[in-house]
Amino acid sequence: MSVWLCRQEQVHHPFYVENLNIHLYSSQELSYVICQYPLMVMDGFVNENLLEFLREELDLGFLALKLERWLASREDPDEALVMILQECDYYTAAEIARYRQKLTELRRKHPAEYRKMKADELFAMHQYGRAVKVYQELLESPKDSYVNEEYEGRIWNNLASCYARQFRMKEAFEAYERAYNKLGKEEILQSLYCLTKLDGSLMLGDRMKALITEELKKVWDERFAQVQEQADQSDAVEQLEVLFKRDSIRRQAGAASMLHRWKREYRSMV
Amino acid sequence: MDGLIVGIDLCDEYTQINCAEEEKTWTIPSAICKNKSTDQWYVGEEAFAHTLTGDGIIVDKLLKLAAKGGTATLGEIRYEGKTLLKLFLEQALKLPKQEYHTGEIRQLVFTVRKVDTALMELLYGCAQELDIPREKVHIISHSESFIYYVLSQKKEIWNGTVGMFDLSEERLCYYEMRVQRGLKKTTVLAEYENLEEGFNLDILTTPSGARMADWILTSCGERMMQKTVYSSVFLTGKGFEKLDWAEDFMKLVCSKRRVYMEPSVFAKGAAYRAADMLHERTSYPFTMICDGRLKSTVSMNVLHRGQETSVLLASAGDNWYEQMSTMDVIPDGQNTVEFVVTPLDTKSKKTVSIPLEGFPKRLDRTMKVRIQVSFLDERTMDVKLKDQGFGEIFPSTGVQIRQEVML
Repeated sequence: MSVWLCRQEQVHHPFYVENLNIHLYSSQELSYVICQYPLMVMDGFVNENLLEFLREELDLGFLALKLERWLASREDPDEALVMILQECDYYTAAEIARYRQKLTELRRKHPAEYRKMKADELFAMHQYGRAVKVYQELLESPKDSYVNEEYEGRIWNNLASCYARQFRMKEAFEAYERAYNKLGKEEILQSLYCLTKLDGSLMLGDRMKALITEELKKVWDERFAQVQEQADQSDAVEQLEVLFKRDSIRRQAGAASMLHRWKREYRSMV
Repeated sequence: MDGLIVGIDLCDEYTQINCAEEEKTWTIPSAICKNKSTDQWYVGEEAFAHTLTGDGIIVDKLLKLAAKGGTATLGEIRYEGKTLLKLFLEQALKLPKQEYHTGEIRQLVFTVRKVDTALMELLYGCAQELDIPREKVHIISHSESFIYYVLSQKKEIWNGTVGMFDLSEERLCYYEMRVQRGLKKTTVLAEYENLEEGFNLDILTTPSGARMADWILTSCGERMMQKTVYSSVFLTGKGFEKLDWAEDFMKLVCSKRRVYMEPSVFAKGAAYRAADMLHERTSYPFTMICDGRLKSTVSMNVLHRGQETSVLLASAGDNWYEQMSTMDVIPDGQNTVEFVVTPLDTKSKKTVSIPLEGFPKRLDRTMKVRIQVSFLDERTMDVKLKDQGFGEIFPSTGVQIRQEVML
């Protein structure tokens, strides 16, 4: 139990982290992002823009110079992340040591697994457009003991999920079909069935139709209705209802801010 | 003169004005007179002259009037107390301005009997309306100006205890100043006591009244000054303008002690303070503990560069009304913020814990809390804690709590 003293930082131009679609305003936030999202920062995160942010906004000119020299020396680039954590005084020495170990473990992974993990993290961060790009690249991976039918099936499944969240229903449907053909899992069949309910133009093939029993259909229909009901009662919908109950001036201001947020979220999704 | 460095002793019954390094002190009643037919204002003797001739209307006790937000009607126009106080100060400041042929105020220090937030805002407001920037205006207590006055004298006068009797129309007050030499810094403590035995100076006009006053003062002197060795004693206030009535009292105080008569201790002390503020390094490198200054040090234990360290928010001896600290901290594994309050007597050190009630529940170390500390008086700390969020990762909820802490 303790209290950490924050550095006095007057940031006028925050640092934009594209993969996370957020702006950073302090050395603490920078440290947090580096530590919590290693996969998002392991490749090319420490670049000239970041060095300028450290130099100009966080008044960490010495660190920027150190990093610049380190990168120029072509030594382990992951060490640059560790240097930032050490200088920003947000994590303890033990935590930084654990982080260094984590980076080493990630680097030891099969390249295809490492990249899939990165794409999965992008998906978790609602960065569907960026995740799609990585998944598509992963489908081109040369086959080996790791990159097998099952691996491809998982990639197709995740790719389909990205498309579905981008409302690209036709592409999602095709990707789920491919995933099902490789993995044969019932959950994928359920996703395909649900897509047909969301988009009337999508039709299941005869082979798949035959696989869906009346019993399964009933369970999935119930689940689908349940999810729809949950969506109707979600916080987002409630916020909208509250907004529409306000007077016109406050409603307009609230709507503008909400629209701005949606736009930002949408841009990061595609 | 490049500009005036002014000390003003502002009381309800009188106002004294002194400029640094100048012997002359103006003493005028705290009253203002308005010409009945024109928009002219008078202070001091002029005010009484116009009132006596009947062409002016006078308002006195201006400080009290302004402090309680009162009004006065002069020539069918109602004036707020604050406006009258401003007009009075404007006229009063003309006295040194005309004497020293300069209109510029380089530094202005008001000294008042008791410093409180409302009075300070009032005086800062008046100064602002007189186009004197806030940074050039300071307000100190009589105790503090007493310290500044005494410390500006020769060292042998203040190397032990210094006593002072202030006898004015409204009160009889005893001040005492002590110097405590420490290893790091010397501390100067000043205390005062309003004596219940205060009397109206009108009684001095009759022989029996004067005898009674002498008897009262002597008994007060015996009570306050017993068992203490004084390096000097000061007598100030209108009551000591003449001393023929205080024969016994003078015998008492003058016994084996240096006794000084100084009618404008507070105004001169304020002027010394004003002059000192213009120097890069203070000529008074002491921790001063008196009315208007903090008697405790407030700090916080924080982690910095992996080490537990103490961050100072306010030090004993700081002027409480000028003291404001702001800092951002991140709690780790705790939902409270703790302050360490260390009085001069370090044995009674205490920890004050303020729970972050109503703050959102977040992951450890992802809530930046802005701590703002100021003081409502020398014994009350005003703490504001605000959720600053954690950038766009966890936006601020705007939750803020305020708590008063008794030191």
